Amino acid sequence: MSTPTLYLPRDSRLHHLHPLTKLALIGLAIVAGATLPVTLWVIAVYLLILMPLAAWGKVLPAFLRSSLLLIWPFALSLTLIQGFFAPGEHILLQLGPLSLKLEGIQLAADYTARILVWLSAVILLMLITRPDQLMLALTERGLPRQIGYIILTALQIIPRFQQRAETILDSQRARGLETEGNLVKRLRALVPLVAPLILSSILELDERAIALEARGFTRAGPRTSLTTLKDTAPQSAFRWLSLIVMLLLILARAAGWMTA
Amino acid sequence: MIRLERFSFTYPGEDQPALSDLSFEVPAGQFYGLVGPNGAGKSTLCYALAGMIPHYFKGTLSGSLTVAEIDIAQSSLGELAGTIGLVFQNPFNQISGSRFSVRGEVALGLENLGVPRDQITDQVDETLEQSGLADLGERSPFALSGGQQQRLAIASILVMQPAVLILDEPTSQLDPVGTSEVYALLHQLVGQHETTVLIAEHKLERLAEFTDNVLVLNQGRLLANGPPKTVLTDPLIEEIGVQPTRYTQAARQARARGLILKKDEFPLTLQDAQEFFDDAAV
Amino acid sequence: MLRFESVHFTYPGGVEALIDLSLSIEQGERIALVGENGAGKSTLAKHMNGLLKPGRGRVLVNGEDTRRKTVAQLAHIVGYVFQNPDEQLFSNTVQDEVAFGPRNLGFSPQEVEEMVRSALEAVGLQAAASEHPYDLLPAQRKLLGIASVYAMDTPVLVLDEPTMGLDLHGTRMVSSLLADCFSAGKTVILISHDLDFCAEHVERYIIMADGAVQLDAGIDSAFDDPGLLERAGLEPPQLARLARALGIQETPGTVVDFLAMWEKHRRRRSS
Repeated sequence: MSTPTLYLPRDSRLHHLHPLTKLALIGLAIVAGATLPVTLWVIAVYLLILMPLAAWGKVLPAFLRSSLLLIWPFALSLTLIQGFFAPGEHILLQLGPLSLKLEGIQLAADYTARILVWLSAVILLMLITRPDQLMLALTERGLPRQIGYIILTALQIIPRFQQRAETILDSQRARGLETEGNLVKRLRALVPLVAPLILSSILELDERAIALEARGFTRAGPRTSLTTLKDTAPQSAFRWLSLIVMLLLILARAAGWMTA
Repeated sequence: MIRLERFSFTYPGEDQPALSDLSFEVPAGQFYGLVGPNGAGKSTLCYALAGMIPHYFKGTLSGSLTVAEIDIAQSSLGELAGTIGLVFQNPFNQISGSRFSVRGEVALGLENLGVPRDQITDQVDETLEQSGLADLGERSPFALSGGQQQRLAIASILVMQPAVLILDEPTSQLDPVGTSEVYALLHQLVGQHETTVLIAEHKLERLAEFTDNVLVLNQGRLLANGPPKTVLTDPLIEEIGVQPTRYTQAARQARARGLILKKDEFPLTLQDAQEFFDDAAV
Repeated sequence: MLRFESVHFTYPGGVEALIDLSLSIEQGERIALVGENGAGKSTLAKHMNGLLKPGRGRVLVNGEDTRRKTVAQLAHIVGYVFQNPDEQLFSNTVQDEVAFGPRNLGFSPQEVEEMVRSALEAVGLQAAASEHPYDLLPAQRKLLGIASVYAMDTPVLVLDEPTMGLDLHGTRMVSSLLADCFSAGKTVILISHDLDFCAEHVERYIIMADGAVQLDAGIDSAFDDPGLLERAGLEPPQLARLARALGIQETPGTVVDFLAMWEKHRRRRSS
């Protein structure tokens, strides 16, 4: 069974960066995507920063595939909604009472570009960072261990949850449960499907908690770690610099220093 | 190493105790089996020995239970971790879920104990080797077969070098291949370690292979405590609802039908049974 | 009754689970479907009630192509007991849980009541009829899961690991339930690693490995090929091993069979 992480192990310099440094890079791209005033500049973040980074990390094909696969539903729906319903003067196409306007298309392009940068920045982070290392870095910096644990576990348990839901569905259908048909039929089918999922998951959680207890999960006292994260002074400096740039971008945007 | 004196435990809201007036001792380094029908209290006893009772599951206790000189009731789960290990039926539910490699999973317990990193690396490597998981170290724990996952669960406990290892039907959800894998690992343990082991198991043929002694539990009470060959061939076992080996059943039936007259000791294993029937044939 | 004609099945991930599998099962047969986890047993069984439809080839249930039937329709013919009862039980009482299947099949309230009663009796849970399923012991939940499908009174019953986690008492309940099925002429298919149990009940072994049937035989030749058994992750049942160790030519299923064979063997040796 696979885990729902995108992480691709590659021997690249980017992979070997400290997880917080990668997080800073991605944070920078996200803030830039939100604050840059010109659509073209936002697209440039994708083309000239994120794509080269992905290539450097030897994950470019997966990066392009995932980011383009995820963006098209946004692109399509934004174009339709903004194109037809945003106010504007330049009518490109008239369909009965509806008119497709240039201003709307431009707006849709702008939103799409920003969403593309956000989504693909997160995808890139996931492609090049092992989730447990990222969590380790965050807990070292003060994130409560329990929260890190919950996030990581959720990542790995979700596919199992899906699998169990499928088994439950199979087992009820085998007992003649009709899952197709009108709404009433389908609603009635919900209880036999959801109840065992919840009940069996509670049983499982109890066991998992016991297994963790037996391995000292709630023990008081200092902890150590098998993996150490390599950090360097330049990386630390870069993270501070990124933080300043992010703050400057936000400030500039808020104060109206940057305009299209 | 394990000592119970008149130990009883009752779950909240129940009238009948789940464990009733248990007294027995398991000497250090011994391998003990635990059998009994469903609902006899085997899992409850395993939980009590590992301190999950009363520290995770609450209830009413009486008598005393000490493991490795620790009074369980006065201790805490944090203190017990690393001293008493617990492995149970479902291998999947014992995976922490927070580690993305088998190596990381095995290391988790030691990290929680605050063991220095160099020492973790050494102990993890050694344990992976011992449990036959060395080649799978970088795999996701979720990508393993049931047998491999159960070996991983055992390795994750063994790495902490516990004085006592409690296993609650560790192979009941595995196929024969997985079961053999787990037993091969346990076999190794018997020779190499001074670990004291108590295993609940209903596959009596497996227990016969290497337990020093077997405890029989029924309705929360200890019915018998003795060497496997005596205890597991006793008709009492079948009366309380434990499936004897087919060897024992065949021999006892042969005797009951008068096909065999002289024998009073019934066979437990294939080898015993072969001798039993060969002797009778002459 | 059930017919597989050159069935191929590949899971969406690309795993080929069944490869050109042909098989025919007649009414009233008692079958053990055995092999290692991942050999394709469950995939095969899920084709019998239409939970899975063949990628290529066809599966006929009572002469009808499963592709033209819904699972709910096929549930009238093939009952399927899943391995883990906790992935099925949802009702507030034991009797409601057992009534779920028969109700779905459209039986009248009186019929349902009767079916529930006899199914609970078959697994010894009459006294627990009004209890909540989750207040039962795990072993009792297992029996409840079996009863809830047995109650549907289908001509074919598939049971996935019916004895897992059961003690002698529970195993005997399953045995007597199977005996009822046999005397009613039902087709029973056990998917099980518990070959000692299978040997006491079935007459035909379908041994699977790598998505194909490796051997389809009676007990006399099912355990002859050590290489195949190794590949299928199987160990012969205890009595079969004992008979072989004693030099007995036949293979016993039950203790009674064994003793008869041993007597014959002993007489032959002494004469």
